[in-house]
Amino acid sequence: MSTRNTLSLGLLFLIFSLNSLAQEIKFTEFDLSNGLHVILHQNKTAPVVAVSVMYHVGSKDEDTKKTGMAHFFEHLLFEGSEHMTRGEFMQIVSSSGGQNNANTTQDRTFYYEVFPSNQLELGLWLESERMLHPKIEATGVKIQNEVVKEEKRQRIDNKPYGKATERIFGHLFQGHPYQWQPIGSMAHLDAAKLEDFTDFFKRFYPPNNAVLTITGDLDIERTTKLVAKYFDEIPRGPEKPKINVNMNALTQQKIDTVYDGNIQMPMIFTAYRVPGMNSRESAALSMISSILSGGGSSRLNKKMVDEKKTALQVAAFNYALEDSGAFFTYASPNNNTSLNVLLADMDSEIELLKNELLSDSELKKVRSSFENSFVSVNTKMIGIAENLSNGYMLHNKNTNQLNEIPSVVRAISPDELRDVARKYLNSNQRIVLYYLAKK
Amino acid sequence: MKKIILTVYMAIIVQFSMAQKLDRSKKPLPGPAPIIQIKNPVIFKLETGLTVLVVENHQHPKITATFSTDGGPIFEGKKAGVIGILSGMLKEGTIKYAKAELDEKIDQMGAELSVSAGGSYVSSLTPYFQEAFTLMIEALREPAFSKDSFDKLKSQHLSSIKSEEKNVTSISSRVVRALSFGPDHALGEFATARSVEAITLEDVKTLYREILTPSKGYLTIVGDITPDKARSLVKNTFGNWKGPVIHPYNPSKVENLAKTEVNIIDLPSAVQSEITVLNLIELPLSSPDYHAVLLANQILGVGANGRLFKNLREKHGFTYGAYSAVGSGRNQTTFSASASVRNDKVDSAVFELLKEIKLIGNEIVSEDALQNAKNLYNGNFALNMENPAIGAGFASSILVNKLPKDFYKKFLEKLNAVTQKDVMRVSQQYFMSERARIVIVGNSKAFSQNLKASGLAVKYFDIYANPVPEI
Repeated sequence: MSTRNTLSLGLLFLIFSLNSLAQEIKFTEFDLSNGLHVILHQNKTAPVVAVSVMYHVGSKDEDTKKTGMAHFFEHLLFEGSEHMTRGEFMQIVSSSGGQNNANTTQDRTFYYEVFPSNQLELGLWLESERMLHPKIEATGVKIQNEVVKEEKRQRIDNKPYGKATERIFGHLFQGHPYQWQPIGSMAHLDAAKLEDFTDFFKRFYPPNNAVLTITGDLDIERTTKLVAKYFDEIPRGPEKPKINVNMNALTQQKIDTVYDGNIQMPMIFTAYRVPGMNSRESAALSMISSILSGGGSSRLNKKMVDEKKTALQVAAFNYALEDSGAFFTYASPNNNTSLNVLLADMDSEIELLKNELLSDSELKKVRSSFENSFVSVNTKMIGIAENLSNGYMLHNKNTNQLNEIPSVVRAISPDELRDVARKYLNSNQRIVLYYLAKK
Repeated sequence: MKKIILTVYMAIIVQFSMAQKLDRSKKPLPGPAPIIQIKNPVIFKLETGLTVLVVENHQHPKITATFSTDGGPIFEGKKAGVIGILSGMLKEGTIKYAKAELDEKIDQMGAELSVSAGGSYVSSLTPYFQEAFTLMIEALREPAFSKDSFDKLKSQHLSSIKSEEKNVTSISSRVVRALSFGPDHALGEFATARSVEAITLEDVKTLYREILTPSKGYLTIVGDITPDKARSLVKNTFGNWKGPVIHPYNPSKVENLAKTEVNIIDLPSAVQSEITVLNLIELPLSSPDYHAVLLANQILGVGANGRLFKNLREKHGFTYGAYSAVGSGRNQTTFSASASVRNDKVDSAVFELLKEIKLIGNEIVSEDALQNAKNLYNGNFALNMENPAIGAGFASSILVNKLPKDFYKKFLEKLNAVTQKDVMRVSQQYFMSERARIVIVGNSKAFSQNLKASGLAVKYFDIYANPVPEI
């Protein structure tokens, strides 16, 4: 007993010293006159530089009749520019020793290159070329339409449990563009015309709807000049249109079933509608998901996988988006346990969160886990670039948001966690999805 | 203060843009190439056979340790799946701490711990490292091996096998290995419900005694720690760990097919088919062909600039991505080209894959294509420096593969010396379009007729690689 006490005192001391251990990510930021927001972070550890542009457009900005447009457009932005023929963009990147990619979510589209640091200027040229005058032509649209449909087949249609999110979001966010997935519908993708894309570009791709973030082995002053050299001439565009939202409060639990030909083992999902990412409540919900399923000693894992042995896997996570969020719990059965038994076990842990305060030891655990992941996610230059851009674009222009996560987590009390669970994790605010094998 | 700096920047900008109009048609030239410094680890060896590599790096307040044994592949035979169960058992608590206690300790520190038969890993913030590391060593040295845990894991493995029965990608990776190496080969065997049912706790313990030993063990510690501290930590925890000497198992050599054939696994529920074109190769890192094969593969099928991607995706729109891969190392391995393709384009995609594999062996690549591939390799070598463990990775690879000490120092030099002729020669030798096995998992109704009509031999197998009659 006495050893334990000494140990926990020791750990308590460590928590305080960790405050100063977790290093702050320093950055410089400014706006060009055309409204492009620029963020620079210098780190000379490795001879690497990451050049990234995040545009504030995602599937939530799409027309209900043209879903999948934001992601389809992302593919087209690799087709070249006035000074690059079709296919040349990717060839230039790789023949210069770099890597590049892009991805689209409901809220934003993110493009990046990672280069040896002597290619910084090339990265700026590439990104400014496609921001200024990308080439969008019929051939590219036709081919990329097929490619995107293959991407949908590979990632969703042919993947076990691939249809769960689509079905859940359809119910949970009815009346909000989050009700469809970024990949969109095949029929809409097929119907897309060339002018839809040129319109989309004009509407959503001006510099004033973008953040340029450059991280790595760079000189701040020189990079500032280079940014101006390549991006200053790009004209400011119109402010982006407001999205149409008509989302009603959820008042009744909805139950649905999906039949999937790719699976043999059923699964049970629940999803609660919760606040968007730019809120303290969203941080509290991420902590709650960690209490439920982060690590072997978490409540759901310990109870359902180890003690009762009813689940092969069980998890909770907070899928936070800009306007709203979905708090998921899901489990797959072990030993042919019925889905309703799994559901009841997950639900009883949610109820416990609403009725009993977290112990000191569990609170410490969740804080340690966030401390550790704070250090881990900020080890690569491209990761830092994305986190800085996220802060500015999706957290009310708070570029420093990534540095504030540890202190927000430390400030959230057990009472607050209980109150957030009481407010949002109620069965009348959720979807229950039975995911079954198609015979 | 911040405002003043901003004004200064703006002034520079205005001045610049007034001075000249940018000629955008000119792609900017690179600056002088950065100097790549590979940080060598401090290496020491314990009497027990364990080699320790330490890379000191104080960039982040974090330390990571990995442990693995250079034992080569293990043949499981009738007990296929026993390695997986052993890996699971190592996570089930120690003689001192029950699983729940061990998990609780790790989670209290916010540390990450993963122990398994093939390799183990622990990572934590600096102040917790000693304790976290000690727990990893305990998990490896003193596993509890309780009957209760064993029964739980066995039931989980059986559930998990069942859950994968209709998963196209997992069927494909299993069948590709089984058909290539044969189901009675360490590299071709796989766990089934039957083989998992046959495993006993005693089997797990026996395997544990044979393979979890410091003999041929490699322990790498990277991060916020000095070599001296690492050394004393290792001596205190690992120093007296003894175990039998590992005798690596040498898998028998398998012949390639005499003639290219198609192996179809029919899965009517698939909306996309997995295609893999492969042949067996031997490519130790010490091979004089090694660098040329890497470049040939790069040109053929690595990334968005590879020929396979440009052909199957960017020209034809058959797939989201098509790539090739070459294995290397002491054991026989594979060259493969693969893509996930919608069912009705499978036959066309197979022909294009074969065409590209053949082409790179028959026609010399352009000087530009080779230079671009070299540039990418050189660039990626620099990008790898973001990983603080890279120096330790190179050093252990030199030891494991018995390479000259300057193998990685000279890596780029050798790579840059590869010629266009070398690329064609090694492509012909290592990428075999005439002796390839083409494995397709998908809805065969959509493509089997066209493949047969093309004159290729077609054989059918079930999802466990057993031959079945034509469908």
